[in-house]
Parts: sequence; structure tokens; C-alpha cells
Amino acid sequence: MIRTFAILLCAVFFCNASFAGGDANQLYEALRKKIFQVKDYQALVEMKIEVNYMRIPQLTGKLYFKSPDKMRLERTGGLSILPKKNINLTLSNLIPSGQVVVMDAGYAMLNGKKVRVMKIVPELDAGDIVLTKMWIDEESLLAMRTETTTRNDGTVIMEMQYAAYAQYALPDRVTIFMDLKDYKLPKGVTLDYNQSADLKPKKKTENQKGNIQIKYLKYEINKGLSDAVFNQKN
Amino acid sequence: MEPIIAVEHLSKSFKKRLAVNDLSFSIAEGEVYGFLGQNGAGKSTTMRMLLGLIFPDKGAIFIRGQRFDNSKRHLLRSIGAIIERPDMYGYLSGWDNLKIFATLTDPNTPDARLHEVLEVVGLNGRENDKFSAYSQGMKQRLGIAVAMVNKPDLLILDEPTNGLDPQGIAEIRNLIRSLSKDHGKTILISSHLLHEMELIASSMLVLHRGKKIADGKVNDLLNPAQTLVEFAIQDTTIIMDQLLHSAWASTLDQHAADALVFKLHPDRIPLLNAWIVEQGGRVKGIRSKHSLEDYFLSITHD
Amino acid sequence: MIKLLWFELYKIFRRPRTYISFGIVTAITSVIQLAMLSDGESFVNFAMQGINEQFEIQGRIMNGYLIGYIILQSLLIHIPLLVALVAGDSLAGEANLGTLRLILTRPISRHQLILVKFISSFIYTTLLIIWLAVCALFFSLWLFGTGDMINLKSDAFILILKDDLMWRYGAAFLFAMLAMTTIASLAIFLSAFADNAIGPIISTMGVVVVLTILSNLELPLFNLVKPYLFTTHMIGWKGFFDDPVPYEAIRRSCFVLVAYTIGFLGMTMLYFNKKDIRS
Repeated sequence: MIRTFAILLCAVFFCNASFAGGDANQLYEALRKKIFQVKDYQALVEMKIEVNYMRIPQLTGKLYFKSPDKMRLERTGGLSILPKKNINLTLSNLIPSGQVVVMDAGYAMLNGKKVRVMKIVPELDAGDIVLTKMWIDEESLLAMRTETTTRNDGTVIMEMQYAAYAQYALPDRVTIFMDLKDYKLPKGVTLDYNQSADLKPKKKTENQKGNIQIKYLKYEINKGLSDAVFNQKN
Repeated sequence: MEPIIAVEHLSKSFKKRLAVNDLSFSIAEGEVYGFLGQNGAGKSTTMRMLLGLIFPDKGAIFIRGQRFDNSKRHLLRSIGAIIERPDMYGYLSGWDNLKIFATLTDPNTPDARLHEVLEVVGLNGRENDKFSAYSQGMKQRLGIAVAMVNKPDLLILDEPTNGLDPQGIAEIRNLIRSLSKDHGKTILISSHLLHEMELIASSMLVLHRGKKIADGKVNDLLNPAQTLVEFAIQDTTIIMDQLLHSAWASTLDQHAADALVFKLHPDRIPLLNAWIVEQGGRVKGIRSKHSLEDYFLSITHD
Repeated sequence: MIKLLWFELYKIFRRPRTYISFGIVTAITSVIQLAMLSDGESFVNFAMQGINEQFEIQGRIMNGYLIGYIILQSLLIHIPLLVALVAGDSLAGEANLGTLRLILTRPISRHQLILVKFISSFIYTTLLIIWLAVCALFFSLWLFGTGDMINLKSDAFILILKDDLMWRYGAAFLFAMLAMTTIASLAIFLSAFADNAIGPIISTMGVVVVLTILSNLELPLFNLVKPYLFTTHMIGWKGFFDDPVPYEAIRRSCFVLVAYTIGFLGMTMLYFNKKDIRS
């Protein structure tokens, strides 16, 4: 009884809020339309992966994307490292597919700018995404931050900065924050040379935070990428 | 003349075993000097000390008047040696072995010199065979070639005829004689065979359990005329005066109140006995002391 | 001295036994390369389980650089044995053969002889490491191609870009030379006590194995002595595949290895200079 009442109260609150500055559904739809106008792109990127247990230098390469969920980082002769498929690096992947319920969460300040906050919940239970929270700059119609809760991979937070490709809702810089499991191999197998500072015992943590920073240098948008690009091996 | 080697009170022990005990001797230039003694007598240990392989506990070694431990490297330039077996690198040829050891003494040893010594030891034509394929005699000859290749004044050869057949022994013997006679080398040679010493050496030192028991010219040491004969006489003073004025005086070696020791050939014992009796001496007994050979045989058979 | 060294090397390289080491290095590297060619994928997947759960790595993981690293890691215990085979034989082998007494009747000092034995062992070690580099790295690059290298530590995943690898390998091989030179000096030291090469070779390996176990045991008692064991520092070459490269630690390891090498050499000279040659 109390639960039902709480849900009703929430619904009333969100409904009231959505009327505060224009229809949240319309805003979401306009943004979604803007995001989905990009069917594919290839971009020169610089990628920096910052995970406690990973020491990876800045990677440069070509990032290919094809809607809805194909992505590949090409590094000629080198290795490419991307988070698992369900935590993709583009905004379009962090918005639930199909019918959604959009809930207005009012306004907030993000990096000194007033942004509209809304929560998007998929109507169907099938997908991996449970909830996406978006911080939207209404003026430029751009998502500045998203917080996506997934069924299997915890919460993924994305922060975006836009410049030259703002009209396509394609960011110049993206920082993805995610939850990661700890990593450990037996010392007897690796026979480490433990002379450096890492001799000090580390705090034991079950889960760790990590982030990936991507700088997009140059986009080529909607050139009709073939699927074969995504099947190639580096 | 200054001896080429002079050894003074040399001693060496290994753990509790005294290998060389207060040994002194000297070797004159041009001599073939023999070390005689059974196995373990201390011959090799002494030779090793002369070459700086073993460090003496006591005593001093002088070579050409210079103290050996002070100028070892300099003095070794004028010494060639084989100690025990002439072991070399089996996988290398005789030539390679000779070249390596020659170069260790003189990096500029010319190939002509190598050919020359190979000629002297009779290995010309076999120099390219692997050392492991050489017979024992060839190995010994190559060892001698290695010892003499840098034209040393002094050769130290430890049992160079060991393990050879009679013909091989004769060959090495002739070679050593020739090195002394024709090349003027001073040679220190060791053997456990008295006969061998007799044939090669001019002087000799007999070692037994690390101690010198005799040394001198081989001819003197092995001469029967030098046999010591002891006459036990009741009162030697009765005949002493006549004896000292007789022809036997030169054979008298030692005298005491009840004994006289003569150095003479055993054949002359009856004559001397008759003479003493004639002079009024009361002979209680006659004992001929062992000759060197007898003595050596007795010690090598204990 | 140069002539003496020349003949020492001539003796080492005319001896068929010397080439066994080069053969063993070739054989071991070939076996690992073949195994990696046929089943490397599953080996890598097994090692990368923890990473693969969360990241998708595409590209030629099994490249020549990684195989080279795997080979170097596996040969950690074998190369010291091969070095000991020659260095342990240096004095004891001559004593056993009977040539030591012949050498020492020549006008060369015992210090000089030890130094020549050490330099020749160092040259042999260097050539062996160069051959290892050819087999482990260059053959692997030829067989598996190039690419970025993944280095898995017990608590870290390190990715090194392919253009950043060759100097690391060069430095690692130089470090390995130093580590193996320490082994050579230990083997020469033990060789000075014996008249038979087997003893010093086995003793050298015994020392290396026991100390390596101590270096790797995670017990507080051993943590006190670990920094002073040369075996702890022998794997310093791995530091060049870390990010960032722990230069300070590598410098410390180099210092320890050089100190041990000089120590072993000095003790050999002290002992051998007074040793009675009775062989």
C-alpha cells in the first residue's frame, strides 16, 4: 500500500516537473532523432584507458561505428582494446531501444551550466539497459552526461564535450566511467619482478572504477560503411 | 759456479701428512739431476714447489740466485716442465697444443721454432693429428716439445718415461741425453727406477717419505768401492797409529773406541781383516753397510 | 693477455660441447614456438580470462614480441645451466684434464688466468644471449609477425605499443647478459674449488634453484633476505616491460648483480692465488 502510494507520488511529481519547461518527451524525441540521424561514422580517435590494474598508453586509431550497435577500433598492426559489446562507446547505445517512458527530473547544474535532467526507462524488460539518466543542454539539444544502469555490467557514466560535430550530436571528447571487477593472477605463474613501488600491498577491492577517455579528431559521417569493416581482423 | 737451483730447508705437509721434510739440495748448470724415490716419496711435490704450483710451508727456493717466490713469472720464462702426465687438449691437434703452450710463454714464438722442436722430438708429420689420437710415447714427446719450445735453460721432467714401452723409454732417454749433451740444458728428472737414473742422471737425490736420504754424483753413489764396512774391534787405539800410517788410511771413513768404518770395495774386506789382526787388533765382527742400491731396493720393498 | 684470451676462446669454441648450449637454446625456442603456433590461442585465452570478461581485445595478440617474452620467461632457469656448463668447467675442467698444471708452469699469473677465464665466459655468455635473442625474438617475429605486446603481471595488465618494444628488448637482453655474467662468476668461483667440472656445474644450479625458490616464496621471514639475494634481481630484465619502467629498481638490481659478480671474482682470485695445484 505504502509502495503504491510512493509510486503514485513519484508519478505526480515527475508529471508536474515535466510541464515545468516544455515537454520532456518531446525533448527526448528531438534529441533521439538528432542522435539517430548518424547511421555510421568513422573517426580518428585518441583513446586513453584508465583502470587501476591496466597500464595502457594512449592508443590512436580509427573508430568505426554503424547503427545500431556495430563498433570497431582499428589500429593497423596493433591491438585494440574496447569494453565488452554491451558497454558501447556511443550515445546511441546507451539509450534504451524500443518504447520508453521518459520522466522529467527537473534541472541541475553541470559544469556551471543549467541542464535538463530526465530518466528514461524501457517499457519492455528484455534489454540490458534498466535505466538511463540524461543531462541535456536544451539550448543546443545535446546530451552532456548520461548514467546508464545495465543488468550485467553495473552503471556506465558518460560525459561529453561537443565542438565541430555538435549538429550530429557527435562529441569531440567522451569520458566513460564504468564499474570493473578486480584482476589477479597467481604470482607463481607470472614470476613478477617486484622491485618497484608496487611492492607495497594494495587495498583489496572487489570492484573498481575505471574510465576511458576518447578524443575524436576527425569524423566521416554517413558514408555508408559496409558490414565487412566490422568483420575484419586487425 | 752459482747453482742453477738451490733449495734450502723446504717442507710441505698436506693436512697431517708431511710430504717434503726439510729438504735442501742444489743443482749445477748443465747437470742432469735425478730425483729418485718410490711413489709418494715427495718427488712430484718438490718439483711442483719448484714450479710454483704448490706453496711450501717452510724453506726457500733460489733459481739463478733469485728467490723464486719473488720473481716467479720472470724465472718461469727460463723453465720448461712436464709434471706427471703430459696432459693436453685431446680435441686439438698436436700443433695447436704446442702453439698454445708456446704462446703462453712467448706470444711471438715463430712457427719455425715449433717445427724445429717437433723435429727434435720426432713428431714432424704428425703434428696435425689430434692429441687424443697420439700414443703414450707421442704424448710424452709432445710434452717434452712443449717443455723445450721456448728454449728454457732448465727442464723439469717428472717421470717422463712413465707408461712407455721399452722402446719408448729408450727413445725418451736418448732425447733427454741429447738435450743435455747437444743443447746444454740443465735437466731435473724424477723416476722411481734407480736403473733409469743410472743411465740418464749425472747427479742424484734419493727421497724417502719426503726426506733426503742420499745425494751426490751418481757414479759416487753407486760405486761399490764406496761400500761402508764397519769393523767392531775391542780397542781401536792399539792399531790406530799403525793404521794412520798405512795404505789403508785413505779408506778410513769414521772411527770410534770400539769400531772403525772404512769405505772400500767388499772384495778387499778379507785383506783388511788380515791386516788388522796382524797389527794386534781383536776383531769382534765385520758388518758391511748397505750400498745405495741395496738401500734403495730395501726401502722400495717395504 | 689478449693472446691468452684468444687461445681461451679458441679452446672454448673448438670444443664440440660448447655448441650443445646453442643447440639447446634453438631446440627449446623452436618447441615453444611450435606449441604456440598450434595451441597458442587457447594458452593466451586462459591467461587472459580475467581481462576478456570485461574487455574485448582485437588484433594479433600472439605476435613475435609476446612469444619472445614467453620464451624468455620459460628459459629463466635453463640459461644459467648453459652458462654454468662452460663457466663451471673453466678451472675445474682444466684441473680434470691435467692442463691446469701445464698452464701454471708458464709465466702467467693466476690473477691473469682467472681474468681470462672470466672474460671468455662473459664472451660466451654474451654470444649465447645474442643467439637467444635471434631465436626467441627475431625468429618469433618472423614466424608470428609484429604487434603490440601484452604483459600480464599478477596484479596488472600492461600493453606496450609495438614501436616502443625493440629498445626494451635490447635493454632486457643487456640486463640478461649482466645476470648471466653473475652466474658465470659464481660458476668460476665454485670451479676453483674442484678438480672435476660436474661438481661446480651442479653446485651452481643448486645455488640458483634454492635461491630462486627463496626469492619467490611469499613468507615474511624470507622478505628480509630477498633484497640481498642475486636471484631476486636476476629477473630485473622484466622491469623493461613494465609501465612505467622502474628504473630505480633496475639500477638497484644492476648494482647488486655487479657487486655479486665482483665479489665472486674477488673471492676466486683470493682462493685460487693460494691454492696448491695437485691435480
